[in-house]
Amino acid sequence: MRIALFDYGVGNLHSLGKALEGAGARVTVTREWGVALDLDGLVLPGVGAFSAAVQALPPDRSALREALEAGLPCLGICLGMQLLFQGSEEGSGEGIGMIPGRVRRLTARVVPQMGWNRVESASDVLFQGLPGGDEPEVVAYFANSYVCEPRDPAHVIGWTTHDGDRFASAVRRGTTWGMQFHPEKSSHQGRRIIQNFVTQVAAWREGRVAETQGGPR
Amino acid sequence: MSLRPRVVVCLDVKDGRVVKGTNFEGLRDMGDPVQLAARYEEEGADEICFLDISASREGRGTLLETVRRTAEVLFIPLTVGGGIRSADDIGPLLRAGADKISVNSAAVRDPSLLAEGARRYGSQCIVASIDAAREEDGSWRHWTHGGKTPTGLDAVEWAARCAELGAGEILLTSIDRDGVRTGYDLELTRAVADRVTVPVVASGGAGEAAHLRDAFTEGRASAALLAGILHDRLTTVGALKTALRGWGLQVR
Repeated sequence: MRIALFDYGVGNLHSLGKALEGAGARVTVTREWGVALDLDGLVLPGVGAFSAAVQALPPDRSALREALEAGLPCLGICLGMQLLFQGSEEGSGEGIGMIPGRVRRLTARVVPQMGWNRVESASDVLFQGLPGGDEPEVVAYFANSYVCEPRDPAHVIGWTTHDGDRFASAVRRGTTWGMQFHPEKSSHQGRRIIQNFVTQVAAWREGRVAETQGGPR
Repeated sequence: MSLRPRVVVCLDVKDGRVVKGTNFEGLRDMGDPVQLAARYEEEGADEICFLDISASREGRGTLLETVRRTAEVLFIPLTVGGGIRSADDIGPLLRAGADKISVNSAAVRDPSLLAEGARRYGSQCIVASIDAAREEDGSWRHWTHGGKTPTGLDAVEWAARCAELGAGEILLTSIDRDGVRTGYDLELTRAVADRVTVPVVASGGAGEAAHLRDAFTEGRASAALLAGILHDRLTTVGALKTALRGWGLQVR
């Protein structure tokens, strides 16, 4: 199973790549959308500024959105989560628009939010196996100044509060997930989340293979 | 509920090995940075900091390799400092696997380094490292080169300027307390934490768990950095966190 790790050209992809590989994925680091959308899963990593990252998105977002809507599993981390939305206060440019809503600056006194914070999470396949059962108790590493505001609360699968500012720290629409924290920096719990994502990618791939082998339906 | 107070473990790295100074009598080899970093993650460290003290160009090359190897096994944040002279030095370290880089002397020589680093990579990965020493009048001065060179800057004002320029965190070391193990300089820590709106990491002086507690409560630090007492095996991160929890602090 192959996962594309999209490379905007800046920042640390190393730990994320290793975490995905450790969960059994073959990782292709790429900045070609043709390559990225052709594999079994897509990870949008989380380093850099919004407007710079937007430049790396395909000028026409529709093929990307269609791939995600068709079920290609996607995990957006930090800035990668923010890119799933329509736009950001941080800078100009249009996001992918997979999840309706915009990105705003944290209102807390101390910004960036830097450190470990609790995610009050819903029951979701990506949080399976974490302590707490149906109400998983996730404590994850954040390093962000901006947060997402989904228009539809049904897309939110995790909430976090920083200095009185409550925000959506995890979202999901179909098989597209966004996480404001860094699972690849959140020690054992974070690695479990990545492993769960890889399991979802494997399931999607199996479904696709079965479909191809079964001929036209 | 908000952020957990962080315990940061610092390792001095020279030519690919962790070293420890013993009263100016040369450096003692403490082991492989990759293994030590992984061990501290297992003990419950919230973050690892490498301070590169290699002087040579070869040493810098080795550092990139060390960071790369560490990032493969470490799944908590890694800050790398030491020897960063320009914004161009930042990219390779981040690519190798550092999450944050810390800048000290170079930011004094060229403050635009902080702004340029933040513009290119985001504030969250630019740490301003400030070494401060107390003056007779009760203020603190900023020093560079391991406390050998006075910059003439007021440490608190310099911290504010660094944050304004784009640093997303202040790593604040008390030169007076460094290695003394009598506790962090709480007044200094609080003065900076009250002045800036970015997180402050207290450093210099950790001798026991109560010192960390005081840094978080009285000092208002977001994180406390320590090295010596762990490397000397006087305590463990786990034991420190158990003590902190006992005092009602919500550590991870």
